[in-house]
Amino acid sequence: MALINIATHEIHCKIVYYGIGYCGKTTNLQYVYKSINPAIRGEMLSIATETERTLFFDFLPLDLGTVHGFRTRFHLYTVPGQILYERTRLAVLNGADGIVFVVDSQAEKFEENVQSIAELEMYMRRLGKDLGHFPFVMQWNKRDLPSALPVHVLDRYLNRRRVPAFEAVASSGVGVFATLRAISKSVIAQL
Amino acid sequence: MEQLSNLVISDHELEAIRATLSKLLHDTSASTVMLLDKSGQVISNFGNGVRRNVTSLGALLAGAFSSSRQVAELLGEKDFRTIFQQGMHENIYTTLVEEQWLLVIVFDKLTHIGLVKVLSKKATDELVRVLARVKADTSRRKTSVINVEFRSSVEDTIDLLFRD
Repeated sequence: MALINIATHEIHCKIVYYGIGYCGKTTNLQYVYKSINPAIRGEMLSIATETERTLFFDFLPLDLGTVHGFRTRFHLYTVPGQILYERTRLAVLNGADGIVFVVDSQAEKFEENVQSIAELEMYMRRLGKDLGHFPFVMQWNKRDLPSALPVHVLDRYLNRRRVPAFEAVASSGVGVFATLRAISKSVIAQL
Repeated sequence: MEQLSNLVISDHELEAIRATLSKLLHDTSASTVMLLDKSGQVISNFGNGVRRNVTSLGALLAGAFSSSRQVAELLGEKDFRTIFQQGMHENIYTTLVEEQWLLVIVFDKLTHIGLVKVLSKKATDELVRVLARVKADTSRRKTSVINVEFRSSVEDTIDLLFRD
């Protein structure tokens, strides 16, 4: 839920990266953190297990500075992807203004991706939101891997709503900022 | 559970919020009092000392609260409306303001938890009234801020800043 504070001239928006375990959500945020102008970003916070799997969420605040008299901030979150953390995903989704669904393009992950997007749709309904009328983009990640399914296949089965989708190799940064720009603009358009 | 898409807080209502937080801070001798949106954004932050990492603190406290509500659901509870975190030196008491905001009080061992509970209840009642006014006024005030020029400027800034 975007917060517009007229008194302090601030606008805050929350963007959540959603998807299955090891699909590259944290990698997206790490790449943004590493590559963006340091003056724009705050500290990145990761609540992870000892083996670096996300336990609760990653958090990266970005500050666009003052635009048209308002200081505009985007807070990026990831959810934990592993199946057992389903309730935590719902907790992190609470109050989101926009969602990036990160897809692991590998054929062997296809079924998990399908289940994950069905879960997301269910959670959004529980939160009183219709994903069809909500800032939402897809990212086809891991395009560099040999078992990656063709984009038209992913698009047909995972992108029923025909939302904007971006090919990515998050580990090397390909597609990371294109995805971030698209979801940020979509959030602003819906304010 | 229908969620709002935006919440617009005016000068006047922020003043009312700050007055409530300031009184609570003073009367409880707390070190910090914060009002958060449930999405983790800090609406107002009051304290004797300036806290570092207030943005991260907001995200973590809201995350912990949201998580505790999922625990409540699993236990068959309607919800947990408060959380108390106890440390060696400082304690944190977090309580829900309707379904939208979180009131957070950070205090040390010189302040009794009972006082915090009672006074935060009073403050919450006041904040519920502010929230009702904010909700009623949001759509009218939003049009005065979010216009075509604003959206266009933000889009240009996004193109400029969100890149390698």
